[in-house]
Amino acid sequence: MPRPAADDRLRRLLAMVPWVAAHDGPRIDEVCARFACTEEELVADLDLLFLCGVYPYTPDLLIDVDIADGRVWIRYADWFRRPLRLTPEEGLALVGAGTALQASPGSDPEGPLARALSKLAGVLGVDADETVEVELGAARPDLLGVLRQAQSESRQVELDYYSFGRDGWTKRVVDPWSVFSAAGQWYLRAYCHRVEGERLFRVDRVRDAVVLDSTFKRPTRQGADGAVFSPRPDDALVVLDLEPGARWVRDQYPHEGAEELGDGRLRVRLRISERAWLERLLLRLGPLARVVEGEPGVGAAAARRLLARYEHG
Amino acid sequence: VDRLERLVNLVAALLDTRRPLTRLELGERLPDAYPTDDHAFRRAFERDKEVLRHMGIPLVLEPIHPDRPEDGEGYRIPRERYELPDPGLDADELAALHLAASAVQLSGEWGQTAATGAIWKLGGAPADDSSANNTAVALPGSEHLAALFAAAAERSQVRFRYKGEDRLVDPYRLSFRNGHWYLAGRDHGRDEERSYRLDRLESPPESAGQAGAFARPAPASVAPAPPWRMGDEEEVQARVLVDASQAPWAVAEVGPESVEETRGDGSVVLSFRVTNRNAFRTFVLGFLDHAEVVGPPELRRDMVAWLESVAG
Repeated sequence: MPRPAADDRLRRLLAMVPWVAAHDGPRIDEVCARFACTEEELVADLDLLFLCGVYPYTPDLLIDVDIADGRVWIRYADWFRRPLRLTPEEGLALVGAGTALQASPGSDPEGPLARALSKLAGVLGVDADETVEVELGAARPDLLGVLRQAQSESRQVELDYYSFGRDGWTKRVVDPWSVFSAAGQWYLRAYCHRVEGERLFRVDRVRDAVVLDSTFKRPTRQGADGAVFSPRPDDALVVLDLEPGARWVRDQYPHEGAEELGDGRLRVRLRISERAWLERLLLRLGPLARVVEGEPGVGAAAARRLLARYEHG
Repeated sequence: VDRLERLVNLVAALLDTRRPLTRLELGERLPDAYPTDDHAFRRAFERDKEVLRHMGIPLVLEPIHPDRPEDGEGYRIPRERYELPDPGLDADELAALHLAASAVQLSGEWGQTAATGAIWKLGGAPADDSSANNTAVALPGSEHLAALFAAAAERSQVRFRYKGEDRLVDPYRLSFRNGHWYLAGRDHGRDEERSYRLDRLESPPESAGQAGAFARPAPASVAPAPPWRMGDEEEVQARVLVDASQAPWAVAEVGPESVEETRGDGSVVLSFRVTNRNAFRTFVLGFLDHAEVVGPPELRRDMVAWLESVAG
């Protein structure tokens, strides 16, 4: 591993010194755990701190560092009695994370996180929940609770689920691996016994979830949470020519290559696992997309099906 | 002299001094720290300044004597702007923040670096009690988030380009909704509250003017607009019939107050205002043949014409 750059070490030192100075000889291993460094790194930084102070660097103007019995004391470091203020990025990272978790169904509105956010708001000069607001997606707290509990107890669940891609309801037994929120939706990642494979389920499309007595064994390796679209190689290939107004498709969905056609037009290759998904895309894009490879007429057929609804007047 | 040692001594000297110090005075107070060659000294000092400013250290350049500008300028770090006031977090509160920062990932490298840096400043990650909380939340980052958060936090106006127009905005609030970040605020050019999708800003936001330039209204008045309200078109009241099987999330999306009628078979008629017809059409098409625009005739005709063009 490369040696951390001087500014990364400075960042840690300026946070660590005030904390150690404010505590009466904390244990070195605790300091290392708090500030994510090894003992060697910590001792190297402390060795250097001995030499620091202000001009003319007489003993009374130098920081005093003592290491004994696995503990460390820092004295005469009054310049660094407090840590540096939070940068906007740091404030946002904490407030964003805290607000997001507070917004997740089933959180305690008066718990330690809520209290921490309100205290933080004081030092940041902002009211956290007034400046940042996070909606993680609709999900019934009871359902999320049931799924999380089944997951932590490694018990199977029977889902009554609406498949957006197939446009229909099905019942299926799944092994719940993880529950997470990504891209503004709550998801359950699970092994589905109906299709005999790993699947991602949107929690807002679960009508009912029943925890079964049967248990399952967790796989040692599983997909990374957050990767919501993961096309499979056996999915059908569709090639679309996109007008300039539909270029966003390339950035929004995983694809297997895009080439410029000139004048802002683009050709993209997409893997499509479910017909209804392609229908929605083609209906939405209308004249902005043309299927050049893959099943022809999918969009037109879907449009005619929808038009049938409008024929009565 | 080790670079880190020089940086620590530089920060100490700048925090310690009562009056601003010139570069040459700083050189004298950090003997052997900088190269003796003046050109090399200047370059090393510039790099150090850059490091400190990048970390968010408030390094200011100001007249050495306020009433004698001819004496030149010098550097110092004002303590009151450097020091983080103690938020007085209890151990369980710091642990909760730490847990939140680990469970919620703001995507991009800066998100993780910033979360770690913030936790350090608050006293570091407390002994891990990683309790049964297995919530994992991924929030996409955006290159403009931090700048807009800073502006919203200190209530200073921002300028940016959006939909081909230069905007001057009082940034009220950032919202993450439907998988996207939005800024809600008052648009001065249009003299009304607007929502902007961060990934559609056409220029980086620039801070304009002083902190505390406006008062932030209470959250309720500025809930971010859904896509079909994010437009300048003439407003129209749309009515959409949605089949029972899709009704729950249609209602969740437009809000329960929009339900005009619930029919015997469980289908619902939703009534809501639309100012962006393209976004409205996309929303309705998402339900495939489980939804139908029932009114007004103008919107229904638009939908039929669109579908006919796709049907060929």
